[in-house]
Amino acid sequence: MRVDFVKAIEAVLAGDAKAMFVTGDLGYSALEGIASKYGRRFLNAGVAEQNMVGVAAGLALAGMRPWVYSIAPFATYRCLEQIRNDVCLHRLPVRIVGNGGGYTYGIMGATHHALEDLAVLRALPNMRLFFPCSNDHVAAAVRQIAELNGPSYLRLAISPYTTPLAPLSEQPQTLTRQYAARRDPRAPSVTIIGVGHGVQLALRALASGGLEHKNVDVFGVARFPWDFAVDATLVRSVIESGNVVTVEEHYADGGMGESLRAALPATRSFRSLAAAYFPEQRYGSPTFHLEQCGLTPDALVRAVLEVLH
Amino acid sequence: MNESSLLRSLRGEALAVRRQFLRMHFEARAGHLGTGLSDIDILVYLYKAWLRAGDQFILSKGHGASSLYATLHHFGLLSDEAIATYYKDGTLLPAHPAPCALEAIPAATGSLGHGLPIAAGLAYAYKYLHQSKQRVACLVSDGECNSGSLWEAALFAGHHRLDNLTVIIDANGLQGFGRTKDVLDLEPLADKWRAFRFRCEEVDGHDFSALHEALQRAPDAYPSCVLARTVKGKGVRLMENKLEWHYLPMSDEQYEAALEDLAEADRRWQQEP
Repeated sequence: MRVDFVKAIEAVLAGDAKAMFVTGDLGYSALEGIASKYGRRFLNAGVAEQNMVGVAAGLALAGMRPWVYSIAPFATYRCLEQIRNDVCLHRLPVRIVGNGGGYTYGIMGATHHALEDLAVLRALPNMRLFFPCSNDHVAAAVRQIAELNGPSYLRLAISPYTTPLAPLSEQPQTLTRQYAARRDPRAPSVTIIGVGHGVQLALRALASGGLEHKNVDVFGVARFPWDFAVDATLVRSVIESGNVVTVEEHYADGGMGESLRAALPATRSFRSLAAAYFPEQRYGSPTFHLEQCGLTPDALVRAVLEVLH
Repeated sequence: MNESSLLRSLRGEALAVRRQFLRMHFEARAGHLGTGLSDIDILVYLYKAWLRAGDQFILSKGHGASSLYATLHHFGLLSDEAIATYYKDGTLLPAHPAPCALEAIPAATGSLGHGLPIAAGLAYAYKYLHQSKQRVACLVSDGECNSGSLWEAALFAGHHRLDNLTVIIDANGLQGFGRTKDVLDLEPLADKWRAFRFRCEEVDGHDFSALHEALQRAPDAYPSCVLARTVKGKGVRLMENKLEWHYLPMSDEQYEAALEDLAEADRRWQQEP
């Protein structure tokens, strides 16, 4: 998603003289073009994330619209109080961008994973979260964020299960997409909701045939707070199926699955496939970690079968 | 106004602000008296003689909010009606500055170490993006110099040569639970700021002449720091240099004694040439 993000942000910087790019010393072999083109509107704040977000708040108070970029855990946890006090309390248009949501950074290790970023940020006042489902949704998310007058967080991530599966329908307003629709409206069915790039795992399950002939609706959601007035199709699916399985590369506690469960109409069953603390205290690639915590296409298929039988 | 009449008038205005400040705290039964009395002279100097149209002031030591409210009120930037709501339910003036409440207070502070990064962001925008002559002053406490984010901001300001940024340290030597030298010794504090590329000068923070000299010096390509040595509770003898006045509200008797100290100072001021 980083390549798509850089392309999208270049368009924002070119079109808005108040837009700025601030990085916490990251962007090697990605941001050089922006750095050389935008002079003082590109700012490397160094390895000092608390100051970086405070400075961004000051820039915003002076009328600028800064995008603040780092690896997801560094852009969020270290400077959480600055995001809360300096940005969110003041409703400032500071756009936090975290690269590497979930297990994207894999073998880089536990410090580089972001498995509670959405949980901590979703609790903040005035904060809006964007977690694109796929690379081709990044530009739309960036455009939406660029229009905001308040705080936002953009979570960029890569799924090892990435599958080029075209959606059946899209809701540009909320960035929600539907990828599969039930065949038999009267037979038992399951609504699968993938959170951000977590939906890729469900698409792999679809593409590999694991969910073939299963009566499932598959949605990808990419924006919080939810707007179910717009996403009426999703709500109707949940009401009609009465069974929900959510998939997210994020811990269950405080995650989007938990939030969906609270916000959606009550269902017969509601299961959340989510990340877990290192079950065997072993470390590896994104795929390794996803397998360790049962976030795989096969595990999803099993969950759906269990619900249906 | 020539310099000596400015200095004399500053002393009178600081007394008036102290009186207002004590009245607010007495009526509200609010603590944080010591810290306000230690920074009032700095605030009065800034609002009387330093801040120009378009300049910004960031109170990084948010626990000094009431002395800032009293100062803003004194200089006509906060109405009688507004100041009367201090500390009451529904007010825009809580014990630490509120977000999006007053134009004169752009940043809600209170967690230490936040104001200087914000001030540095403003200064960067003014200098490099707006190419304006706007300046930024930021008041921090000495206890606040414990925090890493403050030093991150100092590093940033020095690196970017933010000569439109002035940091003033209200160094009263006391912090939340002890003397700064016993909690986390900051000395040599001026040298620390100099090492971060600030031009740093150490002055008596209650001496307007010294504040004037240090704060009116023309910028020289790097940010400025004025290390103002102050006395917590300054001007009220029973509070001076006492840790407990970070927290305690005043009793009736203490309020009277405090007013008597100010009245005595006022008599001395009246007799000045």
